[in-house]
Amino acid sequence: MLKVDEYKHQAETCVRCSYCKFPDLNYIKSSRFSRQCPIDTRYRFNLYSAHGLLHSALAELSGKLEFTPKLMDALWHCTLCGGCDTKCKRNLDVEVLQVIETLRCRCVEQGKGPLPEHKMLADNVKSSHNIYGADPKERLNWMPPDVKPARKADILYFVGDPMSYRRPELAQATVRLLSKAGAKFMVLEDEWSSGHELFATGQLAPAKEMADHNIKAIKESGAKTVITSDAECYKTLKVDYPKIMEKSTEDMPYTVLHITEYIDQLMQDGKFKFNRRVPMKVTYHDPCNLGRLAEPWYHWEPKYEPPNIAVGKTWRRGEKGVYEPPRNILKAIRGLELTEMERHHDNAWCCGYGGGVGTAFPDFALWTAGERIEEAMTTGAEAIVSSCPNCKDILGRAADANNAGIKVYDITEVMLRAIR
Amino acid sequence: MSIPREAYQTLQSIVGPEWVSDDPAICEADRYCSLSSPSDEQRRPGCSIEPASTEEVQAIVKVANRYKIPYVCTSTFYSAGTYARKDDSILIDLKRMNNIEIDEKNLYAIVGPGVAFSALQADLLKRGLITFVPGCGGNSSVLANTVNMGDAPIGWRYGLGYQRLLGVEWVLPDGEMLKMGSLSMSNDYFWGEGPGPDLRGLLRGCAGHQSKLGVVTKIGVKIFPFVSEELEPQGLAFHSHMVLPPNRFKWYNIRFYSREDAINAMFEIGRSEIGLVVMTVPPMFRSMARTRGVGCGGFWEAWKENGPKVKPNQEDLRVLLYGIGSDKRLEYEEKVLLDIVKDYGGSPREAPCRDETNFMAADAICANVVGGRFSSEVSYESINQAVRYSRVVNEITDKYKPRILEDYGTTNWVCPYELGYIAKMECLRMSSVENRDALDKWHEDVHEFCATGGGSTIFPEDEIFGPVWGNYPEKEAKIKKAFDPNNISAPG
Repeated sequence: MLKVDEYKHQAETCVRCSYCKFPDLNYIKSSRFSRQCPIDTRYRFNLYSAHGLLHSALAELSGKLEFTPKLMDALWHCTLCGGCDTKCKRNLDVEVLQVIETLRCRCVEQGKGPLPEHKMLADNVKSSHNIYGADPKERLNWMPPDVKPARKADILYFVGDPMSYRRPELAQATVRLLSKAGAKFMVLEDEWSSGHELFATGQLAPAKEMADHNIKAIKESGAKTVITSDAECYKTLKVDYPKIMEKSTEDMPYTVLHITEYIDQLMQDGKFKFNRRVPMKVTYHDPCNLGRLAEPWYHWEPKYEPPNIAVGKTWRRGEKGVYEPPRNILKAIRGLELTEMERHHDNAWCCGYGGGVGTAFPDFALWTAGERIEEAMTTGAEAIVSSCPNCKDILGRAADANNAGIKVYDITEVMLRAIR
Repeated sequence: MSIPREAYQTLQSIVGPEWVSDDPAICEADRYCSLSSPSDEQRRPGCSIEPASTEEVQAIVKVANRYKIPYVCTSTFYSAGTYARKDDSILIDLKRMNNIEIDEKNLYAIVGPGVAFSALQADLLKRGLITFVPGCGGNSSVLANTVNMGDAPIGWRYGLGYQRLLGVEWVLPDGEMLKMGSLSMSNDYFWGEGPGPDLRGLLRGCAGHQSKLGVVTKIGVKIFPFVSEELEPQGLAFHSHMVLPPNRFKWYNIRFYSREDAINAMFEIGRSEIGLVVMTVPPMFRSMARTRGVGCGGFWEAWKENGPKVKPNQEDLRVLLYGIGSDKRLEYEEKVLLDIVKDYGGSPREAPCRDETNFMAADAICANVVGGRFSSEVSYESINQAVRYSRVVNEITDKYKPRILEDYGTTNWVCPYELGYIAKMECLRMSSVENRDALDKWHEDVHEFCATGGGSTIFPEDEIFGPVWGNYPEKEAKIKKAFDPNNISAPG
């Protein structure tokens, strides 16, 4: 959460050029897919955009505006996908996403938010340490009997709530892949929710509780590397945890790798090879949390020199996301043809699930995912592949709802198919 | 709610309840447009409404007239002056009117006000066609820019945007429909000058009508054949650019050590009818482009080192050669250019065959990253007058101690169009909290010069400049009164 002076400074720096509403203009391939922001594209009023929310943040801060029903609606419909943030930083370097996140935190602080659906997430993690309110004793029930994690290892597999409870097949695919790769890994006996949705919905106190627990558990495990196959967990461990601790990613007692980074590195080192053909034409969906939002966090105490020089600041502009490892993997699988959608890499259209939207506004999430499915279908791909369980979930539902006939896979499933 | 309940309900019935709102947050977010510093002049609208068709716009405007409610229209919000100046106005947001029709055979496109340049350009490039992208950016409205001046660097070859304006569908301030050019006689946008009325000059005025003359709801815009090769985007984030086919394009950066030589070379390039883009490149702009991605601090660090090295009278030209129609044409253009450069003693250097700003993006807004906010003075003149204007503006600027912006006299940009028949001079100055008063005074001084020294600006309504420019403000007011007797189309 930005401190008030910095929050105001960032919001004031916006010149309302609306670049935040578009993908990188050089990459636009058609008018049909020429927008970046899901809320802007669906609801059109200026309030439903980064531009509108930044101005609302200033107005709210100065007492000119309250959290009206529409402001609440726009603020909580935002998927926090960060498309606006990276586009602004092509020109202006405004910390757009941090302003929106802070506006959410202010809404929560004032007791106007979060939404009841989000509040329930906090209640659930309080009672059972996962967002679903499921029995914590069942967290590791997905573990296949033939896979035996080590008691001590340098690598720790952080599973996350969605794969532990809703998408166990993806957790199973991940540990089988790690085993096939010859990795000695362990899992936490007492993993708690990463707190991803709590961070996203401005519920920082319970989110910090999750962070404190998990950081301590990772530290005590002795693991040096945390691997996850959940893009949301990846971003939370790599970015949100150091952020709330007022540290930089490099100062954390662990290194986070997405499973695609790990396998890609093994491939580059000649230690891993896919040995089975997967004849299929696919397109890859960059999860926001593994792409433009996945850059390391750099702690910075705001300090400016005239005219607007941010002294000692390291910028996060979206170019250092995990874009190539999943693509390298897909390209390395024999028989598999990778084709790109119009909006890809840092310009990828959000799946619609993030920012607590999948929880509170499932219809809007489904609409947003439907847009992505339509875009994927223009490539002629038989399947859309992603690297996040919630992306797979909402894209799969949208494909079904639209009778699209396109399959939706997580990359762990595809990788598993490509090895004997 | 300040808009009468009955009027509001009527508006709801026109567009549907989903597309009109008087929620304070919706209205507050529509208070400010781009390029205008927030001030009390910009008022929170009483409601915002998003029509989807010309018929809906007409109905809204008629309701506004019936209830005497001021209205103002906008689309991309990337505009210079379309904001509510009166309390309880209706803000007509036109971004849902984003249809594009492309007539490939007759080379024109029909667009609504919600179409951004980047969207139209993308659809055109796929077909081997092209439109212009104005300096302000591909995120701006095709309609709004074309109706106004529509300047873009490729206007060197293709002319200013307003010359490409064809048929116009215009909802007058009282809600009546006026169709101009060929559209008035048939449902065809192919020609702007007729048959039928051609009042495009009224819409353009000197700096656009800025919503004061109703709502233009659809236009035809001329498009051009382009290369069939795809312009491939490359690079992430601020490194992104389009790769140009090298058999068709070639960039040259040319340094002259006499401004006169540079200007004469520019004229000669025009006479030879070569090039797609020809412009001066102020060293400070070049430094901004080169330090892209390192932020404000990185720019100033580089500029403090490079700025003082700029030699007096140094003038850099940037020229994009274009093999329109064939590779041979590119070879011909290159030979002609290098001959001209030799004649005027310039040093040519071939630049990478890529483009960041002329075909899709045009990131003028990036100038703001160097800190504060940029404020500009613009004139459209002949090349000679633009250069003279630039020189005088520098003299005015030199009187300010400390300087408004430590630019070493290098922020005046001369961008000619129509093979050199007309040129834009744009001088940028940066405003920050520290120098805002000085900058206001600087603007006044520049206008004073324009008024007394024969220069021009795009701000003829200015009280200093207006009276000596044919009493432009009075004429503008008369036209406004004739078209908008109720004074409800963007009053103030």
